[in-house]
Amino acid sequence: MIRKIWAIFRRDLKVNLKDSIALYILFIPILLAVLINLFTPGINETTVGLALLEGDNTSQVNYLEQFAEVELFKTVEQVQERVEERDATIGILPENDRYYLMTQGNEPEGIVDYAKIVNSFYELDITIEDTNSELFDFERTVPPFKKTLVNTMILLISILGGMLIALNIVEEKADNTLSAINLTPAGRLTFVLGKSVIGVLLSVIGTIALIVITGFGTVNLLQLLLVLLVTSLLSISVGFIQGLTSSDIMTAAGSIKILFLPLLAGVLAIEMLGDKWQKFFYWNPFYWAYKGNDLILSQSGTWGQIFMYSGIVLLISGIVYLFLAPKIRKGLE
Amino acid sequence: MISVKNLYHSYNKDGKYQVKDVSFEVANGEVFGFLGPSGAGKSTALNILTGLLPLQQGEVVVGGYDLKKVSNERFNKIGMSFEQSNVYSKLTAKENLDFYRKLFDVPTLDSHTLLKLVGLEGKEHVKAGEFSKGMKHRLTFARSMINNPEMWFLDEPTTGLDPSIAADIKDIIKEKNKEGVTVFLTTHNMFIADELCDRVAFIVDGEIKLIDSPKNLKLQYGDKLVEVEYIEKGEVIKTTLSTVLPEDKRELQKIIEHHDIQTMHTKEATLEEIFIKVTGRGLV
Repeated sequence: MIRKIWAIFRRDLKVNLKDSIALYILFIPILLAVLINLFTPGINETTVGLALLEGDNTSQVNYLEQFAEVELFKTVEQVQERVEERDATIGILPENDRYYLMTQGNEPEGIVDYAKIVNSFYELDITIEDTNSELFDFERTVPPFKKTLVNTMILLISILGGMLIALNIVEEKADNTLSAINLTPAGRLTFVLGKSVIGVLLSVIGTIALIVITGFGTVNLLQLLLVLLVTSLLSISVGFIQGLTSSDIMTAAGSIKILFLPLLAGVLAIEMLGDKWQKFFYWNPFYWAYKGNDLILSQSGTWGQIFMYSGIVLLISGIVYLFLAPKIRKGLE
Repeated sequence: MISVKNLYHSYNKDGKYQVKDVSFEVANGEVFGFLGPSGAGKSTALNILTGLLPLQQGEVVVGGYDLKKVSNERFNKIGMSFEQSNVYSKLTAKENLDFYRKLFDVPTLDSHTLLKLVGLEGKEHVKAGEFSKGMKHRLTFARSMINNPEMWFLDEPTTGLDPSIAADIKDIIKEKNKEGVTVFLTTHNMFIADELCDRVAFIVDGEIKLIDSPKNLKLQYGDKLVEVEYIEKGEVIKTTLSTVLPEDKRELQKIIEHHDIQTMHTKEATLEEIFIKVTGRGLV
């Protein structure tokens, strides 16, 4: 069976390397990685934003300005509005004789920790000479925006894997070769697995290339691989169904873009919406995959968390597969 | 061998059968032909035998495998040449065959040998997409032999091919049959059926009307005639006479004795004529 799966994969690869659209898809991960490196700022250019009350504590403002970008607002409500905006600005507000941190809930852990520390420095009267504002203590070497882009591209690459599968299925349909395959001892399961390999490999190899080029090469690869594989299940299922229902390559490539919608919805929900909106996106496997990848890219995810997110993605993808499986089986007859 | 009993098939499962109560047996080493017009149910029956269509009703055993029990193993013994060529257009002829070789569990024929057999020697590295229709058909035909099949299914093996390619294909079928391969072919070409088949089945509207050898059918249904062209008073006269009726036999003798014979042919009934006589339908 393995020999036949390998033969089907090698045939697909051979054809894909001769096809310009497929070739483009195969090399997109590298292109994306280079673009991310070109257009995202380095860590030293990244600033941490803090929102404070105007006139509350001038010495505190002066102190914090040494470590972060400080914005001043007249009321607590205005600070809250600022905190709820798209970026990861954190409010520092007075309460009794101390200060508390106002967060939106979706800020990167490192940024919150940084705000806590610089505020503690102020409260403990630690001077600038005694401190180091580099994110050395958090082992962060890349800015949050870059991480967001890389995470989104990882999910995009898994969709491209599905797209490649769809292209190969369309080719089989156009050449009417499915009937010939059905009369070999390969069997339908072998065929499905063989056809899936190229999509999974694109996802895995493309993602590894992406994270290495963009500077995330030190993340836990096993954790990343787990999330990748479960996310690929969804893309593979959709790739098969779109391939079997599309009459030509362009239609297949176009129709698989339907997956971009939940992908973007998941990313935007996590990055832009507050806690109260999150529950509306729990149905979305990309939402959970993004969360899992975020922990992996931050190098802060425990195996328990990764298993939990992967499990949720697997469950949702499994439900989608169960729904699509009869159509895939019928299409392959 | 192939054994089919009371086979029915309805595409829409609505009681309208494309194959109705079809029963027949094909012995090992036999060439058996399904002869019928387009839409008669030939390809439907063939696709059930090969496993491309599911068995809905009836009993079918092919090469010792009961089709009610799913087994991919049986495909090691089966070869199928499709009416419409179906090869990977982006792969070369050799790459096409090399790929299929890897999908079987039995020893396979070398791609180069197969291509040589069907007259595609020297075209190994040409993409199938650049082939003519006839070349694609030959590649599809070559692929059907890749696993040295014991049961060889041929769907309209020579339809649409030019006569020289058709002749080559017929020679290969005869050669393989001599080696002991059982051949099941569908055709609406009575010459192919006549030339290749040990027995033929006439199928119309999904039903088998008759099964026998072409020779027996001609003996049973054909008229024994002779067509003569001779010269009488400077004119060429053409006449057809029975070799059975006494008056025609006397007339024939007279012509031979008293005239210059230009041409003389025995005129057997063709399978097509017999088909029309038996089924009341043409073969087109």
